[in-house]
Amino acid sequence: MTATDNTPTTGAAGPIGSKRAAEAARLRRTAWYANPRFKRLAALMGVALVGAQVTGEQGTNRDIFHAMRENMTGPGLWLWVGACLLIWVVREFLRAPVANAWSTARRAGTGPAERARTVWRRDPRLRMLALTALLVFLIVLPFLVSRHWQQVLVDQIAIYVLLAIGLNVVVGWAGMLDLGFIAFFAIGAYSAAFWTGSLPVAPPFELNNFAVIPIAVITCLVAGVLLGAPTLRLRGDYLAIVTLGFHEIVYLMAKNWVEFTGGTRGASVDRFSIDLGFFSYQWGLDPRPYYWLQLGFIVALLVLFIRLEHSRVGRAWTAIREDEVAAAATGVDTVRFKLLAFAIGASTSGVAGVVYASKLGFINSEFFIVLFSVLVLSYVIFGGMGSIPGVLLGTAILIWLPEFLRDTVPAQDRYMYLGALLVIMMIYRPQGLWPSRRRVRELHMAEEGTATRAMPAAGGRPATTGGDTPS
Amino acid sequence: MTTETKRAADRPAEGGAEPHPTILETSGVTLRFGGLTSLDHVDLAMRRGEILAIIGPNGAGKTSLFNSLTGAYLPQEGAITYRPRAGGEEELRGRKPFRVSRLGLARTFQNIRLFGALTALENVKIAVETRQRTDAVSIMLGLPHARRAERDSDRRAHEVMRFVGLEHRINELAASLSYGEQRRLEIARALATEPELLLLDEPAAGTNPTEKHDLEELIRRINTELGVSVLLIEHDMRLVMSVADRVAVLNFGRKIAEGTPGQVQRDPAVIEAYLGASDEEEAEAVADLVADLDAEHADDPEWRGGDRAAEGRSNDGEERP
Ligand SMILES: Nc1ncnc2c1ncn2[C@@H]1O[C@H](COP(=O)(O)OP(=O)(O)OP(=O)(O)O)[C@@H](O)[C@H]1O
Ligand SMILES: [Mg+2]
Repeated sequence: MTATDNTPTTGAAGPIGSKRAAEAARLRRTAWYANPRFKRLAALMGVALVGAQVTGEQGTNRDIFHAMRENMTGPGLWLWVGACLLIWVVREFLRAPVANAWSTARRAGTGPAERARTVWRRDPRLRMLALTALLVFLIVLPFLVSRHWQQVLVDQIAIYVLLAIGLNVVVGWAGMLDLGFIAFFAIGAYSAAFWTGSLPVAPPFELNNFAVIPIAVITCLVAGVLLGAPTLRLRGDYLAIVTLGFHEIVYLMAKNWVEFTGGTRGASVDRFSIDLGFFSYQWGLDPRPYYWLQLGFIVALLVLFIRLEHSRVGRAWTAIREDEVAAAATGVDTVRFKLLAFAIGASTSGVAGVVYASKLGFINSEFFIVLFSVLVLSYVIFGGMGSIPGVLLGTAILIWLPEFLRDTVPAQDRYMYLGALLVIMMIYRPQGLWPSRRRVRELHMAEEGTATRAMPAAGGRPATTGGDTPS
Repeated sequence: MTTETKRAADRPAEGGAEPHPTILETSGVTLRFGGLTSLDHVDLAMRRGEILAIIGPNGAGKTSLFNSLTGAYLPQEGAITYRPRAGGEEELRGRKPFRVSRLGLARTFQNIRLFGALTALENVKIAVETRQRTDAVSIMLGLPHARRAERDSDRRAHEVMRFVGLEHRINELAASLSYGEQRRLEIARALATEPELLLLDEPAAGTNPTEKHDLEELIRRINTELGVSVLLIEHDMRLVMSVADRVAVLNFGRKIAEGTPGQVQRDPAVIEAYLGASDEEEAEAVADLVADLDAEHADDPEWRGGDRAAEGRSNDGEERP
């Protein structure tokens, strides 16, 4: 090592110097295995080994090395090694040809594909047509799938889509990190239980499940404002912890205030029903009617929220997200708009809670653990923060995947694949599946450092140091 | 009522009994960061309808003054009094930035701070819409008055973009505009809030000579056509000297001179402050200053001589709409 350090100065100084130079050259020459290309190969082989272990046989406590032995000799390992080798070869040696082929393919595709795209962009009728077709498809969807998938649609996808739409307002549009979103879901669900007279404590008067919805909205709105008003001044990470704490309070109340909530034993809740005198209907055990009801809620909310996104409110949210200092200097009441986003998200969550409780006919505190907040957040991020189609798609895919894997892989491994998918996605496509255009631009600007402000210090600073950074 | 008050207010101080000839007044404003005194008992009075330039070497506290005026910084001492056209007095020290903006002070930033991922027009619309009151529920329900407000903001934003000469760039992303255009867009965003007082922080920094020339004209038009008072921080002496009615000079957070451009140029304390600065840019500024001074006095001893400029302006004040 010392030789390397000395070479530049002693390079041409006599026989000793030349010997040293040779030594230095030898030291400087990298061994083949230090070549980054082979380092990557080694890393990929590591991935293959771990992958084979993790996805292979389960261990038993009778023979602790059983699983390892099986996995090291079984076909799984060779599959993994082969796949990783293929990735390596493509990446290291075929990169240029593949990239060329890709770009020529794209250029070739500029003809009809590009024309179709421009027509698509230009013609709103076409888009309406496509949306209508999609809606019709979604309406008939329950007839096309088995009972099991109907249950998945109703109990999981539709509920989480409602939640994700709400969380998208908070996280995607207003740019606040909310880890306690399920707290409002719980408040909505317990509101449904309380006002339909299903909790140990009787309400002043009993209401129909549908009539509970506005009450739940208001309750969550108030709860959201009460939580948000003192805390929304906080920067992103602190806010996340505050919301986490809030969730924990609500959860523990649901769990331990047994006289009111029924705790972990839970309470049964009336299901949806309408009685208009001339027409009455009772939602029963068939999941399909719930599905259509949920679809109705989702479509209605989407219409409302899309209007909001393209209004002064949506623009103000974007402004706050991008540069809070500039937004405030322009006259945007940042705290108020954040509070609005928070309250809208909370009440959407509340609606989802009512729907959930009124579908299951039963709730207990364990339906509202913090894991679900994290799941909803990951759906939103996976789909693409701030993008409605992205959020819908992301939620659907991430719920579909573990259900789909149920028959393919050992049950306890299912969520591992979900995790791996999330990791890979965040590395290679952090903007999400179907990102919003604004978000993509923001990400680009952040990466290239071409944001309009000259100084790197960006939006999320505490308000006290707001203002221009001296240059 | 408004026009009458406005005209009365626009008239410069004559009898002394006229309502509010001074739009903004700071007294003893002191701002410290730990041991560093960034503003040191700054007293400043700004007349309604004038263009007041603030100059000074780097780190003199110019931007800090803007930040104190607009509520981004909270000065430890002093008072900042703002008198809106509508009458009354507002204390600005410690106000929230968005409240200051609503009172009629708009600003631009030294380091451009646009909403880069939004289009130029959207940037301006955000500013217009801070003056609207449509609530979220009517927007979600698409009620007629919400739609009308949306159309209004669109129209108004287009107007402002036309005023600053960016109408051909409205659908570009703010981040993709040229530097000069971004500065212009910042001014447009500030103007869209319909301010009475516009604070420009080095609007000419990083722009080319043509853009500088256009900017000079824009500042004049903002002042005369819109009747907006302009407080301008600028390092470009030529721009300052040609556009400003009066100049205040800051150095190490203290106001060391104030007067017409001519007076300030001749002030020994000012020359000292600039000569004392080690910075190369500052040295250039001094060279500029001295060259200007020489040229003017050689060609025409009276051209923009201090007192004449002041007189000219006070006449302007009455002609202004
Ligand atoms: N947030 C802050 N924290 C600490 N010090 C600050 C802060 N803002 C400004 N200062 C200090 O206050 C002094 C004045 O800064 P200011 O930005 O007002 O100068 P300026 O006159 O605008 O200079 P320039 O011509 O370079 O823009 C500087 O010494 C600066 O370092
Ligand atoms: Mg400055």
